Amino acid sequence: MDAPLLVAEGLVKRFGEKRAVDGLGLRCERGSVLGLLGPNGAGKTTTLRMLYGFLEPDEGSIRLLGREFREHREALKREIGVCTQDDSLDYDFSVVQNLEVYASYFRPKVPDLGARIDELLELFGLREYRDASPSTLSGGYKRRLILARSIVHRPKLLFLDEPTTGLDPSARVALWRIVDRLRSEGLGIILTTHYMDEAERLADRLVVLSRGRTIAEGGTKEVIARFLGGNVLVVPGTAAARDAIDRELREAHGLRPHQILDDLHVPVTPELFAELAARHPDAGLSLRRPTLDDLFLRLDEEGGL
Amino acid sequence: MHALSLLLSVFDWRSRAVLGRNFKVFLRNWKTAMLPPAMEPVVYFVAFGIGLATYVGGVPHEGRMVDYGSWVAPGMMAYTAFATPYYEALYSAYVRMFYQKTWDGILATQVEIRHLVWGEILWAGLRGVCNTLVVGIVLSGFAAAGMLSFDFAAIPAVLALAALAGFAFAAFALIFTAIVPAIDHMNYPVFLIGLPLSFVSHTYFPIESQSSVVEALMGLNPLYHLAETFRSLLLDGKLGSHFGAAVGSSFALLVLAYLASYALTRRRVVRDA
Repeated sequence: MDAPLLVAEGLVKRFGEKRAVDGLGLRCERGSVLGLLGPNGAGKTTTLRMLYGFLEPDEGSIRLLGREFREHREALKREIGVCTQDDSLDYDFSVVQNLEVYASYFRPKVPDLGARIDELLELFGLREYRDASPSTLSGGYKRRLILARSIVHRPKLLFLDEPTTGLDPSARVALWRIVDRLRSEGLGIILTTHYMDEAERLADRLVVLSRGRTIAEGGTKEVIARFLGGNVLVVPGTAAARDAIDRELREAHGLRPHQILDDLHVPVTPELFAELAARHPDAGLSLRRPTLDDLFLRLDEEGGL
Repeated sequence: MHALSLLLSVFDWRSRAVLGRNFKVFLRNWKTAMLPPAMEPVVYFVAFGIGLATYVGGVPHEGRMVDYGSWVAPGMMAYTAFATPYYEALYSAYVRMFYQKTWDGILATQVEIRHLVWGEILWAGLRGVCNTLVVGIVLSGFAAAGMLSFDFAAIPAVLALAALAGFAFAAFALIFTAIVPAIDHMNYPVFLIGLPLSFVSHTYFPIESQSSVVEALMGLNPLYHLAETFRSLLLDGKLGSHFGAAVGSSFALLVLAYLASYALTRRRVVRDA
C-alpha cells in the first residue's frame, strides 16, 4: 500500500492567546478527497494555510510524500497546488497567459508547458476563451481558470478552499466533475466547503473541526451516524401541535430542534418517533435520513461540541 | 529567518520570477508607459532649464559656475531615478497587493514573501533605470542643440548608480505600501516623505543653507548625493566627491528598508489573508 501523501500531526497555531488550531492531525491519501468541515472559526482555513505553507505551525509536524515539510519546503511546495477562495487571477494577462505566468513560479520548470496548457484548456472547457481577458469570463469560468492554474505544474496534492462559493448550480456541478476526474487521475485533494451537499458528493473522508480540534473523522455516513444517529424527525410548521412537540422534545428529552423556515428538524430514535407519531397522529410527523447539513447546523448552534 | 538569508534571496530564481511577471505586463503597454518620461523632461527643461535659467544665471558646482540648464539636467535624471521606483513601489505594488490580489496568487506557489518583496524592488528599480535613460536621451537632444552641457558617455555609469539608488527607494516605499490602510493614505508617504526628500536634494534648485538640520538631512539623503554624483559624471566626466556617499547611503537604505519592508509585508499579508 502507498504511503499517505500528507500526514499532519499535533498541529497548533496560536493567534495571541487564542489557539486557532489545537493539536490537530490528519492524513490525505493519493486519489482521494479529504473534506474539512466545521462552523466559522473552527480552524479550517488556518489548518489549510499551515498545510500548504502559508502559515508556520507553532507546534506539530507536516510530512508530505514522506518528507518533513519544514526541512524540504521549496521542493515540497512544487508538489502542491492551491486553489484559493478569493479570485486571485492575474487580470493583466489573458487566460492562456495566466497559465503561462503561473507556471513560471515553479521549478523544476513544467515540462512541455505548451502541451500541458492545451490539455488544461481542453479539460476545463476554456479553449474558446484562450486569448480572452479573465475579466470577460463568468464566475464559473473564472473558478475553472483558477483551478486549472493551480494544477498547471502537475502537483500531487491540491488544496481547494471553498471552490464553488458563489457559483450557480450548473457551474458547481461542472466543477465537481472536474474534481472527480482529478481524483481519478490520482491527485490527493483537501477541500474546505460550506456546502454540505458538496462535501457529501466529493469527499471520501471527512474531518470535522470544532474550536481547532478534530471532533469526528471518517466517511460521511460514519460521521453523521456518530453525531446524529440514523433518523431526523420533521415536524411541519403547519402542525397544530408543533409548539407542544417542540416543548416536549426540549423538556422531556433534552433535544434541541432546528427551525428551518417553520418546520422543526431534530435527530431522534425510531422509538421516540413512534411514540410521538402515536400521540400526535394529525401532526404529519415524518422521518428522513440525516445529512451533513444537520450536523453543520448542530455544530454551529452549539458553538462546537 | 536570518537577515543574511533574506538579503541573499535577491539572487533566488523566485525573485526573478516576480520581476519577470511585472516585466511581461510592462511589455504589453511599454509605449504608453514611456510617454511620461519622454515628455516630462521636455516640459520641465523648457520651463526650468530655459525659462528660469534666464533669471538664475550660473550655479556653483564643484568650485566653478555652470549655467542653470546644464546644472538642472542631471538633477532631473536623479529625480526620475528616485520618483519612478518610489511611486511604482507605492501605488503599483499596492494595487497588485490590495486590489488585484496578484500577490495572493503568487504566494500560493513556490514563491515566498521574501522573494515577492525582492521582485517588486527589482522591478521598480529597473523601471527607474529605464525612465532615467529615456530622460537622458531627451536631454541629450537638448545638448545636441547646444542648449546645455551633457556628456552622454557617462550614461552607463549614471544608470548603474540609478539602479542601486532605485532599488533602495523602492524598498523604502514598500515599507509604506505594507502599512497604509487604504490607497488614499498614500498621501502621507508622498507629501510628508517624498516631497521633503526632493526638496533637500539639489535636484531642481541649489540649497545654500546655514541650518545644521538641513545640512544633516541633506547629508543623509541618498537623493542629494545621487544628484551631485550625476552632475559630476555628466558635467565633468568624473565620479566626484559625493560618489562614496551616494553608493553608501543607497546601499544602507536598501539593506535596512528591505528588512523592514519584508517584515511589514509579511505581517500585512498574513493578517489580511
